[in-house]
Amino acid sequence: MYELNWGLPVILYLFLAGLGAGAVTVSGSVLLRKGGFGSSRFAVARCGALIGPIPVMLGTFLIVFELGQPFRALNLFKVINLSPMSIGSWLLAAFIVFSLLYALTFLPRSAGPGDRLAKFRRILAWICVPSGISVALYTGIMLGAMPARPFWNSPILAGLFLLSALSSGVAAIILVGVFSRRKSSDPVIRNDHHHSSYLLTASDALLLGGELVIIFLFLLFAQLTIGDVRYAVATILPGGRLGLAFWVLVVGFGVLIPFVIEIIQIRPKLLNGGVFKSITAIEVAVPILILIGGFALRYVVVIAGQITAPSAL
Amino acid sequence: MNDKTSITGRRNFMKKLLGGTAVTAAATGALVSFAKSPAGEDAKPTKQYGMLIDTRKCIGCHSCSVACKAEFDVPLGSTRSWVEYVEKGSYPNVSRNFLPRLCNHCRHPQCVDVCPTDATYKRPQDGIVVIDTGLCIGCKYCIQACPYDARFLNPVTGFADKCDFCIHRVSKGLEPACVNSCIGGARIFGDISDPESEISRLMATNPVTVLRPGKGTEPNVYYIAADDSGEHENNRGWYDVRITTHRREKERR
Repeated sequence: MYELNWGLPVILYLFLAGLGAGAVTVSGSVLLRKGGFGSSRFAVARCGALIGPIPVMLGTFLIVFELGQPFRALNLFKVINLSPMSIGSWLLAAFIVFSLLYALTFLPRSAGPGDRLAKFRRILAWICVPSGISVALYTGIMLGAMPARPFWNSPILAGLFLLSALSSGVAAIILVGVFSRRKSSDPVIRNDHHHSSYLLTASDALLLGGELVIIFLFLLFAQLTIGDVRYAVATILPGGRLGLAFWVLVVGFGVLIPFVIEIIQIRPKLLNGGVFKSITAIEVAVPILILIGGFALRYVVVIAGQITAPSAL
Repeated sequence: MNDKTSITGRRNFMKKLLGGTAVTAAATGALVSFAKSPAGEDAKPTKQYGMLIDTRKCIGCHSCSVACKAEFDVPLGSTRSWVEYVEKGSYPNVSRNFLPRLCNHCRHPQCVDVCPTDATYKRPQDGIVVIDTGLCIGCKYCIQACPYDARFLNPVTGFADKCDFCIHRVSKGLEPACVNSCIGGARIFGDISDPESEISRLMATNPVTVLRPGKGTEPNVYYIAADDSGEHENNRGWYDVRITTHRREKERR
């Protein structure tokens, strides 16, 4: 058996931090953009802002306790160096603070567009979008920084993690939105629900399409090379030790099936100017598939990186 | 007239272009020097301890592993120094080679590059890569990053652990425990930056290799007559290679 130094807590952290960072980034972008969401803009932004910090803090809790000596984690903040984990810790700490403040601006009962916190909220959104992207990216950079781990040592891995994080964030917002916005007592919000749902679904389809391209490139360039990387990536090809998990859970459940469903859903409006109908069953099932796929992606990548190694003696 | 303006215009453009290039170059230079200094890549240690292992003299007795265990009270199941058996071929054409292993104290240690707390560093005075347990948080990033799997998480202390060339002995003029106990005289320890040292003379007069040179770490543990057959050669189907690591909880990676 290969020794798995990074196990379930780290895998869960990578997934949860990506999910939360993605939700806050999407929320901030929705809040800051000019057109599109109409009256439901605030509700969508609120949804993402309130979801975001929870998984990030839960994941951080998991890795801090994974150390075995939780207070030791404070040593991370005695220094900053060029280790991706060092830069990532500072980013994560800043992100938790700012995303919490950002979420708090949505909490008062009087919170709404143009209230007295509006300016403060916009400033925080401007901070949360880049720091959310950084947190989602650094997890992939952290794994990619090591030539000793040929499976991870790819610049495109961070891109895959970023897209997967944003896609999970959108999925979480859609999923929670089914229960909150659709049932909202405000008829305007309820009517705008279909439109915001279209925009979210379309953005998610774009992100999933990007993920498909990156997965294709990752596999293609592994096949085009010789040596360590090729041996390592063979573990996720059909017949490899993680082949089934990768193709069924990550590619099938996590990317391909949601992508096809979403494309079918948005096609009438996107191409022919028809009507987009938000269907509750789909808005529950597709995000759940995407979240399963997001977790499976972190699982497969973290395990595959640790059961493969350079092939030379 | 038109020509003149166009020439001045062009000259101004060239000036701007050159200025821009200079600024970019200066910024890149600053960035590169910033990127290099913390990793200590250019800081050449004044002295570099190293080890030369003559595998022709190794009989696979594991006395180095035992001496190391006794010296540091390394917890059960963990190893700072170990001996691998590389068995090759099928009967009657077979061979068995011994490969003593330890931390390579690399010139470009990946473990140092990834350590988020600066807990692991290469000592400038002798080039030994050490771990400051006062700063280590047990994140296991260095264990992932070492191409030689030389590190492990000490189950008793919870910190990363590995060979430190027996600093406590070496600083008092003694040899490391594994060198001291080697009955075949297979291990030669010394200052490889001093061309007159025994290790330097032997390295100059013998063909030497390092492990996984392709990883760019530039190890300071050298081998004479180490066979580089690995288990990946089983894929070729010409002859079987089997490697026994003798590390209870670690598969060779």
